[in-house]
Amino acid sequence: MTAGTLGWGRRILMCPPRHFGVLYEINPWMQREVVVEPDKAVEQWERLGAALRAAGAEVVEMEPRAEVPDLVFTANAGLVNGDQFIPSHFRHPERQAETQVNVEWFGRHGWQVDRLPDDTDHEGAGDALPFTPEGGRTVLLSGYSFRSDAGAATELADLLGCPVRPVQLVDPRLYHLDLTFCPLDGRRAIVAPTGWDTYGRKVVEALVPEPLVLTEDEALSFCANSVVVDGTVVMPATPARVGRQLEAWGFEVVECRVDEFLKAGGGCRCLTLALDVELAKRAVSPPG
Amino acid sequence: MGTETIEVTGHIVDSLLLAKILDAILDAGCDYEISDVRIGKTSLDPSSARIAVTGDDGALGPLLDELQVHGANRTAQVDARLEPAERDGVLPAGFYSTTNLASDVRVDGTWVPVGNPEMDCALVVVPGAARTVPMHRVRAGDLVVVGSDAVRVHAPARARDTQVFEFMASEVSSEKPKAVLVAQVAGRLRAARERGGRILVVAGPAVVHTGGSTDLARLVEAGWVDVLFAGNGFATHDIESNVLGTSLGVSVSEGVATEGGHANHIRVINEVRRHGSIAAAVEAGIVSGGVMHACVRKGVPFILAGSIRDDGPLPDVMTDVVAAADALRKEIPGVEVALMLASTLHAIATGNCLPAGVETFCIDINQAVVTKLADRGSHQALGIVTDVGLFVRQLADELLGPR
Repeated sequence: MTAGTLGWGRRILMCPPRHFGVLYEINPWMQREVVVEPDKAVEQWERLGAALRAAGAEVVEMEPRAEVPDLVFTANAGLVNGDQFIPSHFRHPERQAETQVNVEWFGRHGWQVDRLPDDTDHEGAGDALPFTPEGGRTVLLSGYSFRSDAGAATELADLLGCPVRPVQLVDPRLYHLDLTFCPLDGRRAIVAPTGWDTYGRKVVEALVPEPLVLTEDEALSFCANSVVVDGTVVMPATPARVGRQLEAWGFEVVECRVDEFLKAGGGCRCLTLALDVELAKRAVSPPG
Repeated sequence: MGTETIEVTGHIVDSLLLAKILDAILDAGCDYEISDVRIGKTSLDPSSARIAVTGDDGALGPLLDELQVHGANRTAQVDARLEPAERDGVLPAGFYSTTNLASDVRVDGTWVPVGNPEMDCALVVVPGAARTVPMHRVRAGDLVVVGSDAVRVHAPARARDTQVFEFMASEVSSEKPKAVLVAQVAGRLRAARERGGRILVVAGPAVVHTGGSTDLARLVEAGWVDVLFAGNGFATHDIESNVLGTSLGVSVSEGVATEGGHANHIRVINEVRRHGSIAAAVEAGIVSGGVMHACVRKGVPFILAGSIRDDGPLPDVMTDVVAAADALRKEIPGVEVALMLASTLHAIATGNCLPAGVETFCIDINQAVVTKLADRGSHQALGIVTDVGLFVRQLADELLGPR
């Protein structure tokens, strides 16, 4: 069997973890008494970048800022749609300062920045991932409850011009959609239904023809928080059954431990943001 | 019980969000009515729904908070826009036109109940209260509600006794066992009386023509009528039948035309006018029986509203119809049952003034009259298509025993 392709994920934004640390607790994984080993974090982060490059992706780096340690989780910067960028609107005050940093970076690099209304929370690609069924239209799945508002889906659909289907997240340990959903190609995705309510499960069931369904334990290994570069899946953990299935489908599996970042509740995907996503055809081509 | 309207927009169908919201409403023991739904044509087009959620106040608040999590928000709650009437009898443009249903208007952040629901009126707000005011009674400077955003209308309450009142649910029909309907109307009158409610009777001249006035008089004498509303014709023929034994010249007892009978009603009107009022004619012994006599004797208020074709008219007839409608409005508080007996004009006039909560029975041989009342907005009216004389006799027998 040969793996298909997503059509995006070949150009990735990352932010070096020079200021990274667990300085506050805003998810069940964060414990302030846990100490991040900075050297180890940098080493793991660099290894992840190397793995992505080896898989064929271009990695773009942004400057870290001391006052916003979680800037390292670029998945939460916002949503990219061609030349359009919608910055996140963070629920937790601890992360709200990141928005301005991201707006400046994307504005400087040629993106048109569109904003969500001030009263609508949404945490970017951490809570919204596209799935394009073979021969079908791209649908953005958007998680809500812990970090993002259900109403953000309506606003995003307006701004992006693509259908956005909100899915309720129900497990606080799987607080972002990207811990429960990882699109692989036009037929397949890694899915963690224990993280969704029954309606959300049905929505994904109707959308993804061949899901790789994780058990609760597998989901809690954060293996859905993987980065897909064409036929390569770069994973923070690889439960044996999951790895075997991915290989049976023709994917190359690369395990890339990022344990220092798991201390803050983030895996491989959280450390990356695809810059080449195009959700709906727009007049202008993405910035080079 | 309260009702709040929520709105939800987006890809709510494909995401099953609409289904989830509706399920959540039912799971909370509340009920909903989708007042407006727009489904997007393609998967790209957003859909939207406005949903009226009804439930106990204890359940509604937490439910609405929960629904907010799913992106369903209460429709914007704004205070009523109030504009002063610039002249007596003239409303500001865009005034809110009322229904006859129980309603609230939002003033200074609180829902103020409308004191006297009546259709086709304006809503005038005074500190702490709101009332319906017919156009002609608005005075310059009255604060009138403009627009409908801040008015909520309550759906008609279900009858207290569904079993007994079930027949209200059906359309007007001539094909119903009349004795059953009469017994049920009698039951409603008894129930209203036990609650301390008042009973309004609107009567047309056919009540007299069909020989029903004796039985209606029995009901008045026995205290089953609290207020009578009629026209010149009913009162005239009621008195004519009592004084001369005819109704429009036809013998009420024998059903044959009497010689010179065509002028009987004019002569009777002339006699009453000679005495100055119906009450004076009763006092003088000119009128010794019938419905009007019973009303005078029992002190039951009656309002006679005139029309352009009236002969005479009787001195008690109010020829200013606006004043007559106002006089009727004064009698409406406390009315819980209205019987419309073979009257078109006066029945519709009464229907216009009644709150929707008043149980209304419209009895007429002509089905069109009954439907007409409903078409004019008195949806609470139950029609009974039958001969009114027989109906009144059966009703009196049911309530008072056979005469």
